Amino acid sequence: MHVQKTEAVMAEARITASPWSRLTAAPAWAGLSLLVWAVLPYTREGRRFLPLDYAYHAVAMGPGAHWLLAVAALAVLLLYLAGPALGLAPRRRGDLAFVTAGLGALIPAAGLLYAGVPFGWGAMLGILGMVVAAGAALSDGGRVRGDAFVGASILLMLLFVTLFITVPLVMVMRSAVWIDGTFTLVQFARTFASPLFLFVDNPYTEVAEGARVGMLGGIGAVLGLASGVRVSRRRTGLRRAGAVLLWLLGGAIAGWALGIMIWGRGALPSTLLVALIVAPSATMLGFVLALLGQRTQSRAVRGVLGVASVLPFITPPFVIGFSMIFLFGRRGLVTFDILGIPPAMNPIYGIVGVSFAQILGLAPVAYLIIRGSLNSLNPALEEAATTLGSSRWRVFRDITWPLVRPGIAASLLLASIESISDFGTPLVLGGDRNFLATEVFLALTGRYSQPEAAVYGVVLLSLVGLIFIGSRIMLGVKGFTTVTGKPASGAFLRLPKGLEAGLTALALVWFGLIAALYLAIFYGSFVRIWGINNTLTVQHYIDFWQQGWPTVWTTVKLSFYSAVPAMMIGGLIAYLVTRHRFYGRGYLEFGSLLSFATPGTVMGLAYILAFNDGALLMTGTSAIIVLALVFRNMPVAIRASISGLSQIDRSLEEASATLKAGSGITMVKVLAPLLIYPLLAGLIFAFVSAMTAVSQVIFLVGAGNNLATVLLLSWVEQGRLGRAAAMASVLILGLLALILLLLVVSRRVDARNRKKGKPA
Amino acid sequence: MRMGEGNAPAAVVLRRVLKSFGTGAPAVDTINLDIAPGELVTLLGPSGCGKTTTLRMIAGLEEPTAGSITIGDEDVTHLPAEKRDVTMVFQSYALFPHMNVFENVAYGLKVARRPRPEIAARVAEALDLVGLGAYADRSVDALSGGQQQRVALARALVMKPRVILFDEPLSNLDAKLRLRVRAEIRALQRRLGLTAVYVTHDQEEALAISDRVVVMKSGRIEQIGTPRDLYTRPATRFVADFIGSANILPGTWDGAQVFLDGIGFAHAQEDLAPGPVSVVLRPESLRPGPSGLPATVAAISFLGASTQVDLETAAGPVTALLPDAAAAGLETGQQTRLDIAGGGMHLLAGGEDAPQAAPT
Ligand SMILES: Nc1ncnc2c1ncn2[C@@H]1O[C@H](COP(=O)(O)OP(=O)(O)OP(=O)(O)O)[C@@H](O)[C@H]1O
Ligand SMILES: [Mg+2]
Repeated sequence: MHVQKTEAVMAEARITASPWSRLTAAPAWAGLSLLVWAVLPYTREGRRFLPLDYAYHAVAMGPGAHWLLAVAALAVLLLYLAGPALGLAPRRRGDLAFVTAGLGALIPAAGLLYAGVPFGWGAMLGILGMVVAAGAALSDGGRVRGDAFVGASILLMLLFVTLFITVPLVMVMRSAVWIDGTFTLVQFARTFASPLFLFVDNPYTEVAEGARVGMLGGIGAVLGLASGVRVSRRRTGLRRAGAVLLWLLGGAIAGWALGIMIWGRGALPSTLLVALIVAPSATMLGFVLALLGQRTQSRAVRGVLGVASVLPFITPPFVIGFSMIFLFGRRGLVTFDILGIPPAMNPIYGIVGVSFAQILGLAPVAYLIIRGSLNSLNPALEEAATTLGSSRWRVFRDITWPLVRPGIAASLLLASIESISDFGTPLVLGGDRNFLATEVFLALTGRYSQPEAAVYGVVLLSLVGLIFIGSRIMLGVKGFTTVTGKPASGAFLRLPKGLEAGLTALALVWFGLIAALYLAIFYGSFVRIWGINNTLTVQHYIDFWQQGWPTVWTTVKLSFYSAVPAMMIGGLIAYLVTRHRFYGRGYLEFGSLLSFATPGTVMGLAYILAFNDGALLMTGTSAIIVLALVFRNMPVAIRASISGLSQIDRSLEEASATLKAGSGITMVKVLAPLLIYPLLAGLIFAFVSAMTAVSQVIFLVGAGNNLATVLLLSWVEQGRLGRAAAMASVLILGLLALILLLLVVSRRVDARNRKKGKPA
Repeated sequence: MRMGEGNAPAAVVLRRVLKSFGTGAPAVDTINLDIAPGELVTLLGPSGCGKTTTLRMIAGLEEPTAGSITIGDEDVTHLPAEKRDVTMVFQSYALFPHMNVFENVAYGLKVARRPRPEIAARVAEALDLVGLGAYADRSVDALSGGQQQRVALARALVMKPRVILFDEPLSNLDAKLRLRVRAEIRALQRRLGLTAVYVTHDQEEALAISDRVVVMKSGRIEQIGTPRDLYTRPATRFVADFIGSANILPGTWDGAQVFLDGIGFAHAQEDLAPGPVSVVLRPESLRPGPSGLPATVAAISFLGASTQVDLETAAGPVTALLPDAAAAGLETGQQTRLDIAGGGMHLLAGGEDAPQAAPT
């Protein structure tokens, strides 16, 4: 071995370590901040980002908090460059630099917020640089276990989640109670009293709706009291009284809610009623399909399920509703041409149509969730039960059902949230009914009332929160945690013959409906006016090309711009929460959950409220659309990355660390190549969701940057159904091609994952 | 820092190192350990006793809850793995599946931004060292377990670390290969003069390759010593039992003789007060003969190179390992006497029921 020679090289490398080697991450980023501060304008005028107007340079602004950024950056630089001369222990120095850089980011940011001056490149990049420096210093001080990359990533992600998820949502709540500079609940009172929100006693009907609702509430209270007394038998004294009271209250509210759903009108009962219809129906349908998909021998049925489960991801959410107009509308093929129902009697607009469209759209989602939990069942359990003498029905009741219940609960949760959040379907098919998600929109854009929109937003958020808590309690009580078992091999019991035939028939009917709806769109894009003038034409495609294509192209670009950071931020958050322990980890997870669960219209409203003026002014730009899409779709990327990361043995990263690679290098050289397919899947999903998003961006689009789905929705509303159908066809086919690509890729992932990820 | 020291092997010192993972007993409980430069020290103990955790703290993959770790003369207690001059061979090998053999071995050098020609030369040298010179372009999936193990070894060696760590590096190999590879590891470690810490739960492996062995139990160090020390002079019942196999019988010690079932055997052992003792008898030191402890043959099993004979004595059951010639005349049920060859006996203070001395 030529040990001597290489040792000499290494020793030389160490000796030549100059003062430059003291320029580690923290001072380097502080230096960059200083540079940016000195070179770029600190603030800007109005909505225009790009022009670099030096009238807004920090120095030109006179005294103020913005100087602190420069001072702090200089201080951090000095702390490190002066090095040993200061006689500080490295850890002390790290802590000191963290505080300095942190203040150097916080105070100037607070200054901008207070003054309400829109940030410019200088302020934005300068403050970000200081945050990165603070994160690096955090690791120098030993406060996070990890290197500068980890420390900086943690701080940046916390900042992003706060800025683009938490703050906007807080702004919604603030806007609901903070009107004209004072705290008031007047808007809540006004909205709750409004017939648009809730309308019980209809003077034109003979029945006294209010009395009936009250009676149901009373019955609920009595039932709640009875159950409460029974359930809380084990407790004593005050705790028992509290539990009983809670049950009583719960019963009363449930009874009342049922009452208003039956007899009431307005956004609240309509939304609740639809969710109450849709969530169980979609879940049942999904469960049936999943059971069938797992156990049927028929390839055709499996194929059908495979195709159908993809469709909702590539279809803008209101398109099913829109094609229902073709089939079941006033001039619909089925309702008018076949059944001959006169247009005025058409039942499809309202609760029926919205529920039906949502069930069709959400059943595949339920299918995927429940299929996942079914697949994690160990067939050996069922086999064991049969060898113990159980009949198939017994096995199902005693073994299968209890174990898939968590999957069912998850599906109920997701379906009810999606139903409540759905904006497009009620807009298209709602008829004379109001819904909460659409009221947010109508309040803001029709009645120009921000506080009213905010109150609707708060109501929606509370509903979603209640559903979450409810499902927690439900799952918590049962305490099944075995959903995430490893898929085990073995043969599942076949379904009883009659059952399988019945389920297959149901699946085929369902698929026939879906197929008819999609075909209706394609056909509708080629007929002049559906139901009135059925001559074939390509005119709609020409119109689409002229008036829709530029928007579609803009959408593709913006979606792509949003998908890449969504994937990167999602991947980074997934890496941080799975591989590191730090304060704020739970907050990151909660933030991504929030952004996932918040109804799109509420998020859109939140962005309007947070970024419409003051320091964070960004509305009216494409940037805000991209940001909204990034943080909306990031949770999908997080989940894709987490499942990818869980397949990679940690020893690979540890091996990389013992070979002297920092975590940034490890991420790029070891994790990223192994995660390439999950990341790609995350990217495509983020792109597809961005392409089909409506509700969260509808407030944010402007003249120059309209989005395809928003335009499509407006065409549907204007009754330009043919042109809309042409655009929908193009979107669906394009995205379908993309998803097929993803499927091909994921096949390869499955094949490769058996080898890769596990260390060789 | 360690400027100018080159990559000479370094001493590793653990002082009062404690690691606890949240609730429950600590995984590693206040251990002290001094490893000399160029020494191969093995951490040995039953599953879950804290061997891996100790090793990972030396590597920088876990941070001690308390105590300090020094490598060379640098306190590395809070340094992360990538800032220590330590490499590790993982039990799972942890070869990067998306890189070939060359790229795996070159990884650390590339991260360190060594010049290309140097990387090529050092990787070739390391691969030659482990006998895989011809396999540089192979995908790591296309190697046998033993070859993968050597790639992992080459990847660690090529960095010329001041300390190299092994976490059960042979546990995925079959028995024959294990013998060969462990001899190779030992030879390389000697030749390169590396400081090495080696984790295993196989006592035979530990005895075979170590300069010194650290026996651990429930997060504490039970005994540190050369393999011979541990075998002939175990400090506790646990060590006696864990290293090799041992018959442990109650007896009495009067300073010159030890009495088993009233029969005296000459024995010399310093620093041991007369009184009741536990007598550690190695099976291979027992011989049937005319004098000694009366015993009845209970079972005879032929093992090939030797014969294992289980006997009943008044002091308790005893297992003897006999050369075939010595076992030739024995039959089940036969009465005989057991003699103890010189040096085959070791006494532990305290009789059968005496509480175990708490290890410190
Ligand atoms: N990351 C961790 N979190 C919590 N407990 C841990 C963790 N790692 C190890 N432990 C616990 O610490 C104890 C020591 O574990 P360690 O892996 O060091 O044992 P070991 O001696 O290497 O055992 P083996 O021979 O089975 O590998 C065990 O009780 C283990 O459960
Ligand atoms: Mg271990």
